[in-house]
Amino acid sequence: MTRQYEAVYVFDSTLEDAAINDKLGRFHGLLGNPGDLQVNHWGRRQLAYPIGRRESGYYAVARFTAEATTLPEYERAIKLDDGIVRHLITLYEHELGAPPMSEEELALANRRREMEDDEDEE
Amino acid sequence: MNMRRPQKTCPFCETRVHFIDYKDDRTLGRFITDHGKILPSRLSGVCARHQRQLSTAIKRARYLAIIPYIRGMQA
Repeated sequence: MTRQYEAVYVFDSTLEDAAINDKLGRFHGLLGNPGDLQVNHWGRRQLAYPIGRRESGYYAVARFTAEATTLPEYERAIKLDDGIVRHLITLYEHELGAPPMSEEELALANRRREMEDDEDEE
Repeated sequence: MNMRRPQKTCPFCETRVHFIDYKDDRTLGRFITDHGKILPSRLSGVCARHQRQLSTAIKRARYLAIIPYIRGMQA
């Protein structure tokens, strides 16, 4: 079963940007490089409280659709990575619109609307 | 004598928020005390449904060091 997930990574801020992108690429490769992957880089940010000796971290937020069975391996790789200070994987909850209509439904809805318009004219 | 205070309206319901974002530190910041505790709904007027979402969101944000666990307590 596929679901939409959102992952927040907090990297050690001493890492180079290239190294961070490299790690992100590796993690997302474990998920089979999802097609709808969106990565939002917040960049370096002050931590609200010190974690170990670190005062700041590099935040990145990723949204993707993945098969639930691929997640344990992906999360294991994140846990074992020393460059990651904190991470959180959650179900991506967002405002849902109406589901997109298929071509047939769209044609049907248009025809119905036309018929209603005709009735109004009479 | 009417002892009941006027009903406060939920700030999340007013703005039609369905899901509270744990990454939005400015919104979450309005619902924690000066020490960083979660503000009770009787003070903030948040409805029960949103208060449940809010508490989860605050706990997630604390874990990610977006908002502090404690604040203003110098050791």
